[in-house]
Amino acid sequence: MGVGTYLALASVLFGIGAAGFLTRRNMLIQLMSIELMLNSVNVVLLAFNRVNPANHDGQVFAFFVIAVAAAEAAVGLAILIAYYRVKKTIDTDDASLLKY
Amino acid sequence: MISPGTILFVTTAIFAMVGGLITVSARRPLRAAIGLLVHIVSLAGMFLTLDAQLLAALQLLVYAGAVVVLFVFVIMLIGPASEVGAIQGRLASRALSLAVTIAIVLAVSTSLANFDRPWGAVSEDFGTVEGLGMAIYSEALVPFEVISITLLVAIVGAVAIARSRTE
Amino acid sequence: MHDEAHQQILLLLIIVFPLGGAMVNGLVGRYMPKSLVTLVGVGSVAVSLGLAVTTFIELYALSGHDLEHPALTYQFYEWFSLGLPGGKVVAINVRFLMDSLSGVMTLVVTGVGGLIHLYSVGYMGEDEGYPRFMSFLNLFMASMLILVLGSSLPVMFVGWEGVGLCSYLLIGFWYENRVYAAAGRKAFVVNRIGDFGVLVGMFILVGVAGSFEFVEINAAATNGQFRADFPFGIFGVMPSLATVACVFLFLGCTGKSAQIPLYVWLPDAMAGPTPVSALIHAATMVTAGVYLCCRLSPLFITSDVAMAIIAVTGTLTALLAASIAVVQREMKKILAYSTVSQLGFMFAAVGVGFFAAGFFHVFTHAFFKACLFLGAGSVMHAVHAHGDADIFKLGGLKKMLPITRWTFLASCLAIAGFPLTSGFFSKDEILLGAAAQIYRPDDSLQHAVGWFTLIGLTLAAVMTAFYMFRLYFLTFTGEYRSADQSGDHPYDAHPHESPPSMTIPLVVLGIGALFAGFLGLPHVLPITGTHLDEWSWWGHWMHSSVAGRPVPEEMHIVNLASGLAFGAMAIGISAAWMLYRNKSRDALAEKMPKRLFELAFDKWRIDELYGVTIVNPIKQVATVVGRADMTFVDALMTKLPSFNVREAGRIFARLQSGVVQMYGAVMIVGVVAVLAFFWAPHSHIEVTFEGNNVDLTTPLGLGYEYRWDANSDGEFETTWAEAPETSFAYQKADVRGVAVFIMNARSGVERRVDVGEDWVRLPIEAVAPAATLRRDDVGFEVRLDGEDLVFRRPDPPTLLAGSKELRLPLGKDGRLGPARVIARPVVEATVEVRNAFGNQRRATKEITLPFWIEEPPSHAVLTPRSHEVVR
Repeated sequence: MGVGTYLALASVLFGIGAAGFLTRRNMLIQLMSIELMLNSVNVVLLAFNRVNPANHDGQVFAFFVIAVAAAEAAVGLAILIAYYRVKKTIDTDDASLLKY
Repeated sequence: MISPGTILFVTTAIFAMVGGLITVSARRPLRAAIGLLVHIVSLAGMFLTLDAQLLAALQLLVYAGAVVVLFVFVIMLIGPASEVGAIQGRLASRALSLAVTIAIVLAVSTSLANFDRPWGAVSEDFGTVEGLGMAIYSEALVPFEVISITLLVAIVGAVAIARSRTE
Repeated sequence: MHDEAHQQILLLLIIVFPLGGAMVNGLVGRYMPKSLVTLVGVGSVAVSLGLAVTTFIELYALSGHDLEHPALTYQFYEWFSLGLPGGKVVAINVRFLMDSLSGVMTLVVTGVGGLIHLYSVGYMGEDEGYPRFMSFLNLFMASMLILVLGSSLPVMFVGWEGVGLCSYLLIGFWYENRVYAAAGRKAFVVNRIGDFGVLVGMFILVGVAGSFEFVEINAAATNGQFRADFPFGIFGVMPSLATVACVFLFLGCTGKSAQIPLYVWLPDAMAGPTPVSALIHAATMVTAGVYLCCRLSPLFITSDVAMAIIAVTGTLTALLAASIAVVQREMKKILAYSTVSQLGFMFAAVGVGFFAAGFFHVFTHAFFKACLFLGAGSVMHAVHAHGDADIFKLGGLKKMLPITRWTFLASCLAIAGFPLTSGFFSKDEILLGAAAQIYRPDDSLQHAVGWFTLIGLTLAAVMTAFYMFRLYFLTFTGEYRSADQSGDHPYDAHPHESPPSMTIPLVVLGIGALFAGFLGLPHVLPITGTHLDEWSWWGHWMHSSVAGRPVPEEMHIVNLASGLAFGAMAIGISAAWMLYRNKSRDALAEKMPKRLFELAFDKWRIDELYGVTIVNPIKQVATVVGRADMTFVDALMTKLPSFNVREAGRIFARLQSGVVQMYGAVMIVGVVAVLAFFWAPHSHIEVTFEGNNVDLTTPLGLGYEYRWDANSDGEFETTWAEAPETSFAYQKADVRGVAVFIMNARSGVERRVDVGEDWVRLPIEAVAPAATLRRDDVGFEVRLDGEDLVFRRPDPPTLLAGSKELRLPLGKDGRLGPARVIARPVVEATVEVRNAFGNQRRATKEITLPFWIEEPPSHAVLTPRSHEVVR
């Protein structure tokens, strides 16, 4: 399995996440899609680090990606809850106050 | 020659993709969360093929153990409203986004698949707790400290935002 | 002719002092105490007067040296230069000239001007715009001096425009009054019409004489350069260049000097303060037209037609203005029309060839008219009249304003031509000039003009004496009609004499009015006297700079003129004596037919005529154009673009849907596009030619590597390197094709045809212009045959044309009919580009070399390629 396979897989996973984010109405699902995208990036980082294992840079980076993704998920869900309290729905099609 | 690494990779790859597809296409958010869980666990397996043992463990601990649980808790908190319903409205733009995304993915993945670099030679402690730990604590110490503060801030922020406002 | 001139920098200073005074008073005058303003204003003119006297004395000394044209000049700097068609370059210099003509004029301007400045101290001293007034007066002095001292037409024109500007500023001095402001505008606009005439005349003159300098134009006129015909004629008549130029210049004079048809501004100009009327509209500015004619007298003399026009116009103006003045009620109005009338006299003198006499009348008129205006101002000041004084509300002022009365009387006598006053001598000479023309029967034009002028001017002289003494008697004799006062502005019941600052100038001018004429007294003095120009001081003085027709020697002509002048004066004064002395009613008005009286009182309704025929049509056109501007131009220039922008904005605003997913989608697309741009390398080839070497370049990219195959033979001459350029010398073997260029020099059309082994049709319009071809002519065909190009006509248009084939070896240029034929080789170059990701791109380009490849002489050539035979 060459590096290219990992990269191709990562891009497919990224695409799945992006498609989910762009298509779904449910805010929760959108947040989950974001997690998918972040994970695919981690795969790429680790794959390249494996190609050049002289140092751990890729893995360190992936480590921080995980940490940041966790923080972001927490805050994002908190916002979602606050939004839900006000709007009583998590349908993003209704969230168009920024419309011109 | 099919090696165990290959079988592991293929298996985890398939499950990752399936999990992802479930996540993005499930109607009920709980199912989507399960799909996410499957995806994450299979990625943890894939990390093992890349000699990233600590990260595989962290993936399970943090993502599967905390993030997915958080999602489930929120689904529970929101209750019935968490299921929004089928896709309706803005069909054209949704279809367009989907089409563009698929096109991009096809283009990128096919060109990336031919990327040809040989795997490097790994040392004994590559990706292990000692190896990665040493790297984090020596080269990436400052980001490490910063990330801990980030997490603290995230906690505080999340609590502050999501607090129920009793007037 | 310039060696007779001497440099004198004081000429510049004469102008600089009033100009400086104008700036000081204009900029900071209102912060200065009144005494300082007076010092600057009057002092600058006084200094200027002193300098003028100094330079005049020097000029006088110079004139005793028997020079042909004694003059002082000073060149300040070169303004700019002009290229004329024909290659000649005319330099326009700011240069001043004082000869006999401008010397006298300068003295008049500074002298009379200085007196009027002094008068203004008393008259305008209480006005809150006093510093502004002094500033404008000084500016006027400076402009007038530039006009008079300029040695060439452009410099004079600067002064010409300057005095026009100052006239506007000063007429509308009390600008808050709309009527006064309108009068100022009227003066300016009417003047501008005349200025057009001056400009056209100026251009004709420079075209013929090649210079703007007066000296050179006059020399050219004397040499007869202006006798040629003007390129365009009217009604089959071809006027001479001199005639056309003079007519246009005279148009300018009618504007500036208030002749028919452009006199209408002068009566309205009485809206300005009285010193303005005295200085500008009596003594100096209005005489600028006469000055111009005298300056260019050698030119005017060469055109009989122009002179006739001037004489007739002057006479008519004199009559017209006098007829209006006879029935007017207000002092300044009467004096204004009197000025127009007297200016008519001056131009009539010019028209009959007596330039010096006309200028003499300018000189004497300055004295008595300024004195009359200042006297009128004194009267108005005494009775506290606003604007103008109605003479039927005055009377008996001789007891209360003695100094004013005596100076006024002196000036009235002068203007009427009472013997031995200044006006007597000048008016006499003018009539003499008219009389002299009667006695030239061989020239029918001059004969007729002479009769017309003589009779007209005599009548005008009668009316002049009449209305002036009507004015005098009604104002100063009889009883003061203070009991009749009614209405808004009753006059002061107890008028008293004016302060010395006003009466001193009156006295000085009055003395001048009486005695200045003796300058025109002939040296030889038999009882009847002769008025030969050369033999009076004035004529002798003027002779060096002003031309003129010969003065008659026969005594009967002189007697005729003198008799008519005397008779006119006598009739006029006695009529006025009988009708108006000690009276209070307008006897003439009662005796005249009512309709005629009203018409004359209304200035013959000329202003209304202009209004209907000229002003109103222009206003209507302006309204229409304005509306068209609003409807079309505004809509097109403002509403259309704003509509576009607004609607485009509305369309683009739909991008802001407020839905985050859409923003995300756009972001993704954008990011991918940017990445794609960096992912694959791109390149193209650019070619430059250095002699016979061809340089190929391709745009630089980060991390790119290049590989060149300059002749696209499959072998790369360079290996992967970071050099984005290469150069190559093409061999014959690299040639892949031949392009033939056909150029038709006459039509400028150039076409390219790629030739091969098959016949290719040449584009016909490149060979010959389309108009010369027959419709069925299909032109030429060409093909490549070995090392030659073969041309043939497939369908010859006529049997006689033959079907010859023409062979042209490659590498030689040839001709095909009127077209040039050039063959050039076509080669191809290739470059491969690789970026850091390993992606590779190839670009090729077909190059047409602009030269033919020469076979290197006897060397063995490289590898044989394709089917070409190597020689």
